[in-house]
Amino acid sequence: MLAEYGPFFIQLGLAIVLAFAFLKGAALLGPSRPNRIKQMPYESGMDPIGTARTRYSVKFYLVAMIFIVFDVEVVFLYPWAASFERFLDAGVGLEVLGVVTIFVIILAVGLVYDIKKGGLEFD
Amino acid sequence: MDLTQSFSSLGADIIVSAPLVLTMVMGLVIVVLDAFRRNHVATPWIAALTLAFGLVMEITRIGAASGTAYYDLLRVGGMAAYVNALIFGSGLLTVILARPYLESIGHHIGEVYALILFASTGMIVLGTANSLITIFVGFETMSICLYILTGLVRTNQGATESALKYFLLGAFATGFLLYGIALMYGATGTMYLHEMQSAVGDHQTMFRSGVGLLLVGFLFKVSAVPFHMWTPDVYQGAPTPLVGYMSTASKSAAFASLILVLYLALPSTQWIGVVAVIALLTMVIGNVIALAQTNVKRMLAYSSIAHAGYILVGLAAGSPEGYSGALFYLLVYTVMNIGAFGVIALLEWDGTQGSEQSLDSLSGIGYKKPLLAWSMVFFMFGLAGFPPLGGFIGKVAVFGPAIHSGLTWLAIVGVLTSAVSAYYYLRVLVVFFMKESNPDVATDNITFSVPGMSAAVIVLCVIMLIVLGIVPTFLDVTASFFDGNMLATLP
Amino acid sequence: MAVPWYWSALLAFVVVNFLLISASVLVYAERKISAAMQNRPGPNRVGPVGFLQPFADVAKLLLKENIVPYLANPFVHSLAPFLMVVIAMTTGALIPFAKGVVVADLGVGVLVLLALTSISVYGITLAGWSSNSKFSLLGGLRSAAQMISYELSMGLAVVSVILIAGTLNLTEIVESQAGGMSLLGWNLFRNPIGATIFIVTAFAETNRTPFDLPEAEQELVGGYHTEYSGMKFGMFFLAEYVNFFVASFFIVTLFFGGYLIPFQSALVSAVPALDGSIWLSLLQVMTLILKAGFFAYLFIWVRWTLPRFKYNQLMTLGWKYLLPIALVNVLVIALIISLFRTF
Repeated sequence: MLAEYGPFFIQLGLAIVLAFAFLKGAALLGPSRPNRIKQMPYESGMDPIGTARTRYSVKFYLVAMIFIVFDVEVVFLYPWAASFERFLDAGVGLEVLGVVTIFVIILAVGLVYDIKKGGLEFD
Repeated sequence: MDLTQSFSSLGADIIVSAPLVLTMVMGLVIVVLDAFRRNHVATPWIAALTLAFGLVMEITRIGAASGTAYYDLLRVGGMAAYVNALIFGSGLLTVILARPYLESIGHHIGEVYALILFASTGMIVLGTANSLITIFVGFETMSICLYILTGLVRTNQGATESALKYFLLGAFATGFLLYGIALMYGATGTMYLHEMQSAVGDHQTMFRSGVGLLLVGFLFKVSAVPFHMWTPDVYQGAPTPLVGYMSTASKSAAFASLILVLYLALPSTQWIGVVAVIALLTMVIGNVIALAQTNVKRMLAYSSIAHAGYILVGLAAGSPEGYSGALFYLLVYTVMNIGAFGVIALLEWDGTQGSEQSLDSLSGIGYKKPLLAWSMVFFMFGLAGFPPLGGFIGKVAVFGPAIHSGLTWLAIVGVLTSAVSAYYYLRVLVVFFMKESNPDVATDNITFSVPGMSAAVIVLCVIMLIVLGIVPTFLDVTASFFDGNMLATLP
Repeated sequence: MAVPWYWSALLAFVVVNFLLISASVLVYAERKISAAMQNRPGPNRVGPVGFLQPFADVAKLLLKENIVPYLANPFVHSLAPFLMVVIAMTTGALIPFAKGVVVADLGVGVLVLLALTSISVYGITLAGWSSNSKFSLLGGLRSAAQMISYELSMGLAVVSVILIAGTLNLTEIVESQAGGMSLLGWNLFRNPIGATIFIVTAFAETNRTPFDLPEAEQELVGGYHTEYSGMKFGMFFLAEYVNFFVASFFIVTLFFGGYLIPFQSALVSAVPALDGSIWLSLLQVMTLILKAGFFAYLFIWVRWTLPRFKYNQLMTLGWKYLLPIALVNVLVIALIISLFRTF
């Protein structure tokens, strides 16, 4: 079971080696002459004003929270989708579909609510 | 696994748990309705009708034999029906009280009713849970809704603070609960309460640690000392009628669930000592600190801590009589507390959910608002435990079994602290009726208009309190839940 | 059937190199195609018709200085491009190039694929955050919000494919499209809405125009990679091209019959010697690369044709249109399947 992941980890290892080689290769081959002007964060040629670690719109948090809800929903749908044929073979396909529909509707209500309340307005 | 059997009982389960399912569905309906027609006038009515339907349906099933639904995850009928009726009743009275109140503070928003319905769903799941998983699901559903309701008035700093405090501490308590569940499951290999005791085997240490952590979660929810710190702050900051709901319905659910855990999963007497000590601390600390309170809502918050202590005395007795007494006390407590918080809500003048309202500001109110003040007389005497009101019978019902179980010292402390509590309860009445109205506090611009529905709820609570005090049959009803067939009906 | 590990290693090595070379070919192709669309010559100095330009670029980037801005977090600043390249290269392991020719034939290949794509959000977000630059931060935030928004619809489109195939294994998903002479059995025809949603979200997930708000050069300079220089920038660049090529492969695998040659069964019955031979596998690899090449061309074509969305349009499309449509699509597909099977 776990053995089938062996090749996957081989490829992962190759990818890590490659990415590491890029980083190290550039560090070895390229010059390194840092100075203050060079290291200034880019702000269209001006001296940077304030800090970049600032507060940002709460909307991003909102999107992230809604995402969690729906992502978990999608994750719950995977095992159902993969085994739906077996439910059909057992003759309970429509019942299972009904239950899943209820599940989806409950979350869809949340989506409708969120849209209507303007939680996804970015204007 | 035979898949064809998976759905054979689903239809029957849905019918058996119709109030629960309906509450959740109507909550969703309100959410959708509110999305399209913001703060529609029908919203509170939908919630009230749903809760009323659930209340009627559960009352008719109190006498029915108890059973289980959804693969033994939930209990139905009997004690479950009684607890559900308590939750529905509390929710119904709260909805009626909350509508004019929220309108007056300018936060009449449709989601409140959806949240009350969802919270009720969670409480029912918690109060009728027969498995640790359902306990957790109900616990979380209830708590999250209550966190939001606490911070409803988000422009108010105090409300926001109390909501955040409630959320952080509550999340912490949930962590304890979950960790306890994990350890109990690890020790027994089952999530079902009635299978736990026989499945513990030689993992006693792990099981006991799990139960300890589980109890922390529960004791937090019922605001027992030493997990009571959140209670005064939350009660002070939250909208007053909703505080009544939080303090009664969530306590009913958590205590019912705790009784089931103690009765089904821990029938041995080894936990009695722990519960008794907690009960002692809760009664003493709750009552003593309440003496020093000048804010009405904080005073009632400490009073509700003290009452959690009285109920814990019934649990500490560890006998069916004790459990049934505790269940009866929950009913009395619901009636008294909804009424008391309802009166305070109607007498509010400062526009910040009474968070800064001192008792003195209500001086002489008894002559301006006789109906509310006289109702308050009943509630205060009831809370203090004077005969012939329900509060007295309730205290007899929890202290009596404690004496039978050999916890005489606990009962004595209970009676003594009740006597102490009479001081701060009666002080309310002294202020109401025997003090001149305070010129320092701007009570002149008070526009207490008492809505008819709210007044009806208050009067209903008074009548219930009297009936519970003089008609003893209610105690027989709660006693009948423990007639020995409670386990027999389980597969 | 256990494949010896050195074969897997060899195949993995080939796949990584294939992706590297195809990335440079795609860079060249993008520049040439855009030049053709804009009626200018494009790169034409390095090598014949400028073909060696990408290699010259890589050499140049390797020799450039790596500048890390003030107050940036140096570790995270390097971690971000590292993650991007690793993720982009690893997803290649899941592509079934031909029947039995796949580095890792995982039982839950689709899940691993989605897990890997969702990790690449971290690469961009960390790049944006670690650079200590306002442009980078905005680009990183935008991209995080955009990618998670479209990931939902993408996941649901994949659910509809899994429903039809009844498996999470990518090879079996390809084989399930063999009906209708390996052409009409494509999931494109059985699940056209899912296919459309998947293609659209693939554009969004790879941050390609019209969804390239994270780098939106006119307003955010370079977005999350504003503060990257030298080979670290090159790594982002490489990852972008590998990503959209791999995305093309998965579009083909999930919806366009994967490695299946159209009329494959007719071909095999006409030339029986082909059945099970290495030549058939080679033909399948060629077919897959041709199909994927078409979508890679589509990615480039769209980039030089369509303007960029506004941010609110992007979110509206993702949440208010694609997500509900994808949800309904899943249920409709399930209903159709169960009706077919029941009656």
